Amino acid sequence: MQNSWDRGILTSMDLRRTEGRIIYICIVIFLVLLAFTTIFPFIFSLTAGLKTSVEYARSGINLFPAVPQWQNYEVVFDRINIPRTFANTMIIAVGELTMQLTVSTLAAYSLSRLKPRGWRVIMVAFMATIMIPGIAYFVPLYVNVVRLGLINSYFGLWLPAGVNAFVILLLKNFYDSLPQELFDAAKIDGASPLRILWSVALPLARPIYIVLIITGFLGSWNSYLWPMLVLRTATDMHPVSVAIQGLTQSFPINIRLAAYTVAAIPPLLVAILTQRYLRRGLSLGIH
Amino acid sequence: VLGSLITFGKGKDFMGTVAQKRLRTRSLGVRLSKDTRWQRDIAGWLFLLPAVILFFLFAWHPIVQGVIYSFQNVKLQGETTWIGLRNYERMLADPVFGQTWLNAIQFTLISITIGFLSPIIVAVCVNEMRVAKGFFRLVYFLPSVIPGVVSLLIWREIYSANNGILNEALKLLGAPPQLWLQNPALVKFSLVIIMTWGGFGGSVLVYLAALQDIPAELYEASEIDGADPFARLWYMTLPHLRPLMTVLLILQILGMMQVFMEPYILTNGGPVNSTMTPVLAIYTRAFTNADYGLASAWSVTLMLVLLVISIVYFAVNRANERKRS
Repeated sequence: MQNSWDRGILTSMDLRRTEGRIIYICIVIFLVLLAFTTIFPFIFSLTAGLKTSVEYARSGINLFPAVPQWQNYEVVFDRINIPRTFANTMIIAVGELTMQLTVSTLAAYSLSRLKPRGWRVIMVAFMATIMIPGIAYFVPLYVNVVRLGLINSYFGLWLPAGVNAFVILLLKNFYDSLPQELFDAAKIDGASPLRILWSVALPLARPIYIVLIITGFLGSWNSYLWPMLVLRTATDMHPVSVAIQGLTQSFPINIRLAAYTVAAIPPLLVAILTQRYLRRGLSLGIH
Repeated sequence: VLGSLITFGKGKDFMGTVAQKRLRTRSLGVRLSKDTRWQRDIAGWLFLLPAVILFFLFAWHPIVQGVIYSFQNVKLQGETTWIGLRNYERMLADPVFGQTWLNAIQFTLISITIGFLSPIIVAVCVNEMRVAKGFFRLVYFLPSVIPGVVSLLIWREIYSANNGILNEALKLLGAPPQLWLQNPALVKFSLVIIMTWGGFGGSVLVYLAALQDIPAELYEASEIDGADPFARLWYMTLPHLRPLMTVLLILQILGMMQVFMEPYILTNGGPVNSTMTPVLAIYTRAFTNADYGLASAWSVTLMLVLLVISIVYFAVNRANERKRS
């Protein structure tokens, strides 16, 4: 069946008529203007970060600097220690993803294939947490993390990241969709459950994991409230978003805008390079 | 996360065929003996154990504990004591309580006005493009991957009252400059603009995926009947998007009940509490005043509101799926 991917509401016939053309041109103009508006804040930050502070304070609209001040970016790298905060962000992201994917995979596989006695109760208990967004209980969660001594430790971020009922549900649905015969065959060969999971189920699930890793990376890069609470006083452990917010007022505005630009580049690059997977994630329902 | 549940069934068929290819036929009809059933229980529970421990510590226990805290005077160091309904009495006596929920409702209404139809319009337009479809799809999505804090700090400079670029542009057009973040009549609107900017691209992607599911035959049939493009839009395209619209509307409401970052970074709830949201109020009670019991009473209220919206969401989602099948 041909679907409407290669056409819209307008047909190629419509586009040959004047009114069809007018509609089409209006659409193009609208979308181009909107695209410019959408990326404008980023362009503003990029170019303002290349100005001198005097030039930035000048009134009137002058989007582009007379002479680009590339040394602003050098200042950002030296004084704000960008490599360090980027490394911290990666440490947090990798730890969170490892925890989340390992724990969720084991749980999902068990619920889908091993089905130990009582699995239904656990399943319902997992799924109940989808109904209550985490923001509704972050105060007692914070108290638990304090009492467990996880404040100012990356474990305070890594361990709670293992709690994600949606990922468990997604993986369980996937493992449910695999034919039982696949697993029986491996079992007859004498493979242990862990072995079957590793060499039969996981390879088939690769596309899902790629999507989960990309969205997980973008999510870690974006998260602010929880790292800010957990790593409150450990400034040398702060990820990008917390460190960026801490800059306020101690640096001139042009330097700060340069820093904002630098902080936005890695996730933008990842999104642009992996847009194919992000869209596939959308069809799996991950976003 | 809730949004993620919309369409996750779709991946199944494609995966199923991959698996089928690797299928070995010799093992049909294996029966498990009692012994292996027992072994499987042990393996199954061992596999579940890490998740159960983490869910207990970081989800189930805090959810229950939050309700208990709301009846207590909570001390991180020292003795926590039961105080009955006093936290709830203090919460209801606080004029800020009514104000935060009023703000949440106003945020929701403004956000629906600005942000509900716009992704539909944009998606329909992008779907009409004969070239550069992929470019537009990507560009609109980009704001949602920039870390929220970074976006907000950039927007603060754009909205800046003295020589911010937005006021400079107004000056050029001969309009008076505005106090975007300091004027109580304007500030909610200013924040919703940022939220819409950051979020509409994701919704555009969701709507685009649905638009591409419309079979071309449907359009062709309507063309034979002589329907002009606007009639096609009104009678074919929009009805097709209807179920998705309901779902995204509920998710938008759910999101607006949880607004935190924008007022926290840009206005700290001001001016005169006009951007104080339920979550920001919880945050200040817990982490500025260390009044965890009071914060928990607020949290329980929020939890109930979110739970009701979630239940509506799942009910609607289920009804949609039943209609589809």
